[in-house]
Amino acid sequence: MDLAALTARHPSAFRPDWGRRAVVAACVVAPVALFAYALASLDVSWSRVFAGLGRLGDFVGLMLPPSYGTTAKLLTYLHALAETLAIAFLGTLLAAMLALPLGFLAARNVIPTWIFRFGVRRFLDTVRSVDTLIWALIWINVVGLGPFAGVLAIMSSDFGAFGKLFSEAIEAADNKAVEGVESAGGSRLHGVRFGLLPQVLPVMASQVLYFFESNTRSATIIGIVGAGGIGQYLYEEIKVLEWGHVSFLVLLVLAAVVLIDAVSARLRFAVIGNRPQR
Amino acid sequence: MLVIEGLTRRFGGKVAVSDVSLTVESGGFVGVIGRSGAGKSTLLRMINRLQEPSEGRILCDGRDVTALRGQALRDWRADCAMIFQQFNLSGRLDVLTNVLMGRLNKTSTLSSVLRLWSAQDKAMALSALEMLDIANLAAQRADSLSGGQQQRVAIARALVQEPRMILADEPIASLDPRNTKVVMDALLRINKHYCITVLCNLHSLDLARTYCDRLVGMAQGRVVFDGAPEALTEDVARELYGLEAGEVMDAAAERPQPAAAAFAAA
Ligand SMILES: Nc1ncnc2c1ncn2[C@@H]1O[C@H](COP(=O)(O)OP(=O)(O)OP(=O)(O)O)[C@@H](O)[C@H]1O
Ligand SMILES: [Mg+2]
Repeated sequence: MDLAALTARHPSAFRPDWGRRAVVAACVVAPVALFAYALASLDVSWSRVFAGLGRLGDFVGLMLPPSYGTTAKLLTYLHALAETLAIAFLGTLLAAMLALPLGFLAARNVIPTWIFRFGVRRFLDTVRSVDTLIWALIWINVVGLGPFAGVLAIMSSDFGAFGKLFSEAIEAADNKAVEGVESAGGSRLHGVRFGLLPQVLPVMASQVLYFFESNTRSATIIGIVGAGGIGQYLYEEIKVLEWGHVSFLVLLVLAAVVLIDAVSARLRFAVIGNRPQR
Repeated sequence: MLVIEGLTRRFGGKVAVSDVSLTVESGGFVGVIGRSGAGKSTLLRMINRLQEPSEGRILCDGRDVTALRGQALRDWRADCAMIFQQFNLSGRLDVLTNVLMGRLNKTSTLSSVLRLWSAQDKAMALSALEMLDIANLAAQRADSLSGGQQQRVAIARALVQEPRMILADEPIASLDPRNTKVVMDALLRINKHYCITVLCNLHSLDLARTYCDRLVGMAQGRVVFDGAPEALTEDVARELYGLEAGEVMDAAAERPQPAAAAFAAA
């Protein structure tokens, strides 16, 4: 190995790359500076946090022990929890069902027409940019208080996200199978049905499950503004300062979320993890 | 009879296939040879119309197939079955469904999309699989099969299309020597038994000589050789493959079997 000769033949490989180093340095310095600026301008005061720590301790004291009061109340809570889960489940499923066709329409390898795809994408972006809570407030005004507004809120906010994720999964799919189907005389629809769909369906199913997990949390929050479910009771108990009940409700939600996380994580692995090892 | 007239394909400024004219008689086993980038794949893909020609025409029994659209185009594609180097199966679907893809063109859209295959279609697919000795794998997922088995599935798919012609684009390039022989033998059997024209891109000169009854040599998008395998002299091979040719021919002459294996594995 002749270092000198190799250096002579490939000078660029040995030369220190100042441009690249400058970029890396900028990538580190810029976020740090931004962070410092944000701390200064957002009125962050650590002394206030320390002064308030005592009050935070008082709250914890008030919340212990968690209690649900009467059995009738426990049943109401459990019913509300079930309602929250139902809102999350229905909302996610509806969003996925609506997003499925749009995901295909927004994918480059399905619809080559640029202008059409552009329209669908911007529509999905617009829907997605509105948060679940805002959608809840909107739907409460349209269909009234209650779980139905919750279902619609979750559906509206996730539908945009699903559409985008689905279309990206479809674009990432391998085109060889589609080509195989079309080379045999299959139509475009056949290509999508037999070449694309089998590849992307497991990915989509896993995304839907993941959203269901996180929507159990969202469904709790939108309950607070009156869109049904356990959030409503959480809000009421906070208002009447029943801190024991509040902590019980929080634990209830926590238990449900942990349970759903575990089950859906397993399901997701079962759906995507059966790729043969090669 | 397939007649290609002045077929040209450009990618941007690059000419992949340049003014190719060929006549392929029915029932032949034609090998297309040439080094990497010569335009072999592009030529085959244009015949199946997976790629549009920039210029020129393709005529089948006097009918211009370059102008076909819609159902007529799909009928043509079913008529000239394509076999790919990478198999192009739908990996998550089972083997039988993959073979049934070859029947799509002859099935109503509704029943095919719902996967309601007729008993005849299934029987046809299974008998094609039996002929290729892989009927026992019918229920397995395609991506759980070995490369050689997957390529046989692809051949079965081509067979159930009841094609007039099979276009095979380096069907053995990702297979080991044993599977190479299995796949090439299957193509030869189909060619002789059903009298289906085979147009096959090959990298290995030995294989081309063994199986083909006519060779078309391409270099830089042009046809530079067209004739019987015996007529392929060392000079022509050198023109086709550049400097490597001498080595190619010598190695092949000295020890034919290992050389074939080396090419097939490469
Ligand atoms: N889709 C494409 N876009 C741009 N250029 C392409 C495309 N397909 C092929 N080419 C170019 O056309 C030329 C011929 O390619 P082609 O795949 O037909 O060669 P080949 O003879 O099949 O080579 P190989 O033996 O490596 O498969 C190559 O230079 C390639 O870069
Ligand atoms: Mg090729």
